[in-house]
Amino acid sequence: MTEKVKYLSPAWRDEAERRLSSELPPERMNLVTSSMANIYKDCPDGKDRFMFFRFEEGRFADLVIDEGQPPKAEFFITGKYDTFAKITRAELSAQKALMTGKLKLKGNMVKALKLASLADRLNKVLATIPAEY
Amino acid sequence: MTHMKDPYFIDFPKRIRDIQAEMHRQNIDVYLGSRLRTLSWTADAFCPWRSFVAIPSEGLPTVFTFVIDAARIADDSWLDEDHVFGFAPMGGQDQIEQIADFITDLLKNGRGRIGIESGMSNYLPEGFLTHYEYEQFAAALPDAELVNAHTIIDKLALIKDEGTINRFREASLIVDIGHQAVFDAISNGGYKEMTETEIAGLAAYAMRKAGSEWEWSFTGGNEIASGYRTGFAGGACTPASRRKIKAGEPLMIDIHSMFKLGLGDHAHNYLIGPVTDRQWWHATNFVDIVKKTIDTYRAGITPSELAEQMMGFAEERGFADYMVPGFEHGIGLMGDEWRIGLNDGPFAYWTNPDHVYRENELLICAMQYACPEENIGFRYENPIVIHTDGCEPLSKYPLGVEEIQ
Repeated sequence: MTEKVKYLSPAWRDEAERRLSSELPPERMNLVTSSMANIYKDCPDGKDRFMFFRFEEGRFADLVIDEGQPPKAEFFITGKYDTFAKITRAELSAQKALMTGKLKLKGNMVKALKLASLADRLNKVLATIPAEY
Repeated sequence: MTHMKDPYFIDFPKRIRDIQAEMHRQNIDVYLGSRLRTLSWTADAFCPWRSFVAIPSEGLPTVFTFVIDAARIADDSWLDEDHVFGFAPMGGQDQIEQIADFITDLLKNGRGRIGIESGMSNYLPEGFLTHYEYEQFAAALPDAELVNAHTIIDKLALIKDEGTINRFREASLIVDIGHQAVFDAISNGGYKEMTETEIAGLAAYAMRKAGSEWEWSFTGGNEIASGYRTGFAGGACTPASRRKIKAGEPLMIDIHSMFKLGLGDHAHNYLIGPVTDRQWWHATNFVDIVKKTIDTYRAGITPSELAEQMMGFAEERGFADYMVPGFEHGIGLMGDEWRIGLNDGPFAYWTNPDHVYRENELLICAMQYACPEENIGFRYENPIVIHTDGCEPLSKYPLGVEEIQ
């Protein structure tokens, strides 16, 4: 895929699902069972959105992008659309965004630390999707 | 978590239920503990970094601590990793925001009464909520009322259960091993060229070999004093120094062990020979008043009654000038090392002199004899369990002041 899709659009979601399924086998995800919701504040159209991921024993199980309240998740990460976009474009590391308060994590951080490397892998895959923001 | 048949078993879920019952009576929705003693008493883990415990109106408590120690605390505690959170300087994860978010989720529409721990203590690591923390929590929980509630824990922790007492018994056995190691090392001239810090270290080594977790006292671990340092006027705190032990001087060994948050604390005294008659006179006075104090402690007596009787005895024998007029300090699981009983005395947060001791209270029988003008002093400390007809000293190291040749 070389043509750009709009970030967080249905086409972007489908491409994200395809890449996550193919590029992150369960072993690569340490057979983890967890869920996470990114909450995007101030999207370009003025709305708030969420992106919800779920992994079952390392297998990619769910990816939902929508408006409104996200499903119950083990971790919630909240920030501005621009911040998430910078992370996806690899212009800003997720760690720095958290340490400077640009992103807010809700959930057990000890568990989150165990999953930090997996989140990095996931972000790296998403960063490969040609997207316009 | 230890098994019920384990001699060191403590029923922590029952403790939490007891706290929750009292919270209900006082219309408190969430109890936010911050004192080290509260953390030990509810989580059964040593929390050396700033920590908090949030106790909901029902269900399990959750501990919050500096992230670098959260996994270890979860491993040590009876609580699982879902009930031990680490905080760090990250968005949503600093201690104020993380705990305030957690409490908000427990309250209905963010409204309710939150019990906090506010007060003062001579014990530096006590852990009362700081003014800054109070302001920040109040701002983060604008619809909640913060009320001082530490008496809930203080009352419930006053009378010790068998598991707690057994932990103290074991810690005292370990302290006795430390004292034996010190005696062996300083005997037969072994003290020569030895420093106070070296003695503190060899006691620590012996106690660690016997299973002690650390020399828990914030007064410098093991307190060792020699010569004039044993007799500071009104003093009872001597972190070990680099001073060398010398012939003809007193030597005071006050060592500390910890076993499953139970604390050993026993002081023993020596005279390094040659010993003068005057030194023996002081030593005999000291041993006699310790014996009398131990014989006097029982349920029903108060700190002021006991002090009056002991100071009367010292006056009769002509050594009242050398006695520091206090015969106790409080003790409980790690972090509880301050006043006796509850905060109900004439001076806030000091021991109530009219506190009536009850069966299975635990305290440190503590006294200091100090004669600065003669560069001599002695200290006694020993955890005792109050019984109806007397007390049980937990350290069994023989009482006495021995001459070391």
